[in-house]
Amino acid sequence: MKSLDEWADRLHLPTLVVAAVVVTAWSLLSWRYGAYVLPAPGAVVRGLVEIVASGEIWRHTGASMYRILAGFGGAVAVAVLMGLAAFVSPRARGVVADALAVLNATSVFVWIVISIIWFGLSSWAPIFTTFMITLPVVASNIVEGVANVDRRLLEMGDVYRLDGYQKFVAIVIPSTLPYLVAGMKVGFGLALKVSVVAEIFGVTSGIGYIMNYSREILATHMVFVWALVMILVMMLVDKLIFDAVSRRLAAWR
Amino acid sequence: MAVKLRVSGVGKDYLIPVIDSVSFDVEAGEFVCLLGPNGCGKTTLLRILGGLEPATRGAVLLDDRPVVAGAPSRRVGIVFQEDRLLPWMTLEQNVALVLKPLGRPAAERLAIARRYLGLAGLGGFETYHPGRVSGGMRQRAAIARALAIEPDLLLMDEPFGALDAQNRRIMQNEVRRIWKDTGRTILFVTHSIEEAAAIGTTLVLMSARPSRIRERITNDGRVARGELVDRLNTMIMEEVERQQGGGR
Repeated sequence: MKSLDEWADRLHLPTLVVAAVVVTAWSLLSWRYGAYVLPAPGAVVRGLVEIVASGEIWRHTGASMYRILAGFGGAVAVAVLMGLAAFVSPRARGVVADALAVLNATSVFVWIVISIIWFGLSSWAPIFTTFMITLPVVASNIVEGVANVDRRLLEMGDVYRLDGYQKFVAIVIPSTLPYLVAGMKVGFGLALKVSVVAEIFGVTSGIGYIMNYSREILATHMVFVWALVMILVMMLVDKLIFDAVSRRLAAWR
Repeated sequence: MAVKLRVSGVGKDYLIPVIDSVSFDVEAGEFVCLLGPNGCGKTTLLRILGGLEPATRGAVLLDDRPVVAGAPSRRVGIVFQEDRLLPWMTLEQNVALVLKPLGRPAAERLAIARRYLGLAGLGGFETYHPGRVSGGMRQRAAIARALAIEPDLLLMDEPFGALDAQNRRIMQNEVRRIWKDTGRTILFVTHSIEEAAAIGTTLVLMSARPSRIRERITNDGRVARGELVDRLNTMIMEEVERQQGGGR
């Protein structure tokens, strides 16, 4: 009986039951309001099979991922530098904290409009938007991590005359890594959500572009298909990369 | 015997004077227990001796050379109230780490680390992470780390305060044994009179704040343990009353 319960948990059985209810309700609503407003679940699945078969899925997902990785990767790199500055100088810590507060308060839309003005209709617009939006998320996590390095451990390093580099490698990096990974996890989710919005404007590839295009040609079922692709990408990256890295980092606990 | 550590006229003021003026000598190979009522500045004095904090007055000489705050001497090992092990490193990595500044090759560092972990009774646990062993074992590892640099002076700041009575007793015996095996000079801060009488060869009693040295007692067994503990208890009670009634 217990193992049966375990399997039910493993397969998220209660979730599947809820999903079945939702899909049933979806089918009924679709039948009631028509495919333009709400396409049937079957049509969405067929659409997904189609883009996988034709290879279209890779073209647009690849284009989006390239922009996300460029913008998000740049943000992580700059965030690490900000964390370093905050660690080395208390004055820099104050400046970084203030700058991050301003960035945090800035709307996605501001960056989208500005990036179109600055970069025109190119990949740089979504890259820049992604960079500006994910930077404060990742950086505030790193800065918090740096601020939370146990001073007593650093003092221990002083007692045994570890130099700055040795303390940095042995104490600061390991204590900050979990914050970095947590920040990257949240940041990547945000990057995926933001970059597709920026792709509505001015580019001719990417998940955001193709979703908006599908809407224009009244192919509502394709809007749902691409939304599904986005969700799958997010969940895959979360499970395969971030969960695995987090587990590794916590191995000593 | 040679004087290892000379403390002359050391004082420390924060907002109020905490340590008035403290002077005493520690000879090489001595096991000194520093006693005193809570808040009399025992930990502060230890931090000054270890070069972690500057003194307001006075000087500390270790082997005739001044101890300068902010530039801790590599010849001093400190065991804190907490173990201060790096939780992401194994016990042997923790000990090997502090040998890096001494410029030993990696293989030698590991060999030394294992030897001192063995001496501290942690043979077989070298590759465990601190989170996987008991509090007493973590404190043993911290002691092994302090010994591994072969310090001229080992400072211990209530290292067993977090342990239960049973483990405390075991650790006291262990430290006493390690002291005999290695011949190190130890200065051990505690507020437990029984602990001090059980392990120290010399007991230094600090007075209430602003503190001075009230008494220096040689614990060579000529005075019975019970009588010694009674005498110290009386003195400490007087100091505690003075501190609470003294208006400071």
